[in-house]
Amino acid sequence: MTRKLWVGAEALAVALVLALLALLVWRVVNDSNQSVAQALDKGKHPVAPAFDLKRLSGDGSVDLASMRGRTPIVLDFWASWCLPCIHESKRLQAAMGRYGSRVAFLGVNTKDYGPDARTWQRRHGITYPSVHDGDGKVLSRWGGLPIPKIFFIDRRGKVVGQLVVEEDLPRYLRQIAQS
Amino acid sequence: MIPSTVVAAVLALLLAPSALACNSHPTQAQLEGQVMCPVCGTTLDQSDSPAAQQIKRVIRGRIRAGESDCTIKDALVASYGPSILAAPPKSGFGLLAWWVPLGGILVAAVAVGLAAWRWSRRREPEPKLDPSLNGRGPLDPALERRLDEELARFDS
Repeated sequence: MTRKLWVGAEALAVALVLALLALLVWRVVNDSNQSVAQALDKGKHPVAPAFDLKRLSGDGSVDLASMRGRTPIVLDFWASWCLPCIHESKRLQAAMGRYGSRVAFLGVNTKDYGPDARTWQRRHGITYPSVHDGDGKVLSRWGGLPIPKIFFIDRRGKVVGQLVVEEDLPRYLRQIAQS
Repeated sequence: MIPSTVVAAVLALLLAPSALACNSHPTQAQLEGQVMCPVCGTTLDQSDSPAAQQIKRVIRGRIRAGESDCTIKDALVASYGPSILAAPPKSGFGLLAWWVPLGGILVAAVAVGLAAWRWSRRREPEPKLDPSLNGRGPLDPALERRLDEELARFDS
């Protein structure tokens, strides 16, 4: 009886180890989901990964998937501790004056302290809305650090490009505005 | 009789509630060792990145305002999520991270105790010695015969 119990316990332990191994293999295989930035580097134009995040201002949330098919989007990942973000966000703010009626500008404040982020927006005159991605999970799906990271999404929800050089901003803005 | 690991685990469980208490006068150094830098994967005291400096400023301001460590951590978790804490929270799902290792230690201690008990019961009983042998155990007959032969050869 006791021997049967031991054999059962051993079988259970082996089964547990095998299950953990299977989970590891499954995780590795399914982790091939590359980030948006990696996909763009390979010349692909993936559909923008959906997210539903609270607005930084505190009133309501923004569901990116619900914007698909309605309007092109410029997505700006930023944080108040990120010095280069100031320059890029101000450029986006200026571009909003020209494209704001045809393109939605949305900031994703990431890995940041909410009150500081709101102060930063006011100080630098950034008026386009932002959502708060405190733990950076959304950022990691789009490519992770470093920031700023700016993506251009066409009307159908496909990511057409990422800002790499300054000239990319007017080029991609024209492209998505016509989509 | 009871393994010391079991005693330690039980003591840890009994003392756990005291660890839940908030410190109303936390120090900057204490909190910097308990909060993660969100961009470097280390605690704040190990980092000087702009993101870490920002959180250090937040902590300094809140300590000056007289907030407890719990309140400060809650504010940080509200902005950064639970991963901002170096140790998992002692509530909800995070509680598992504290109890599972303790449970594991308990189970392991019980398993080791059981195995030791079984092993000690399985041991062969000591052979009873003949008092006339003066504390010596009986010799293997083959060895005894060989010894006799050697002695006989020596005597002759």
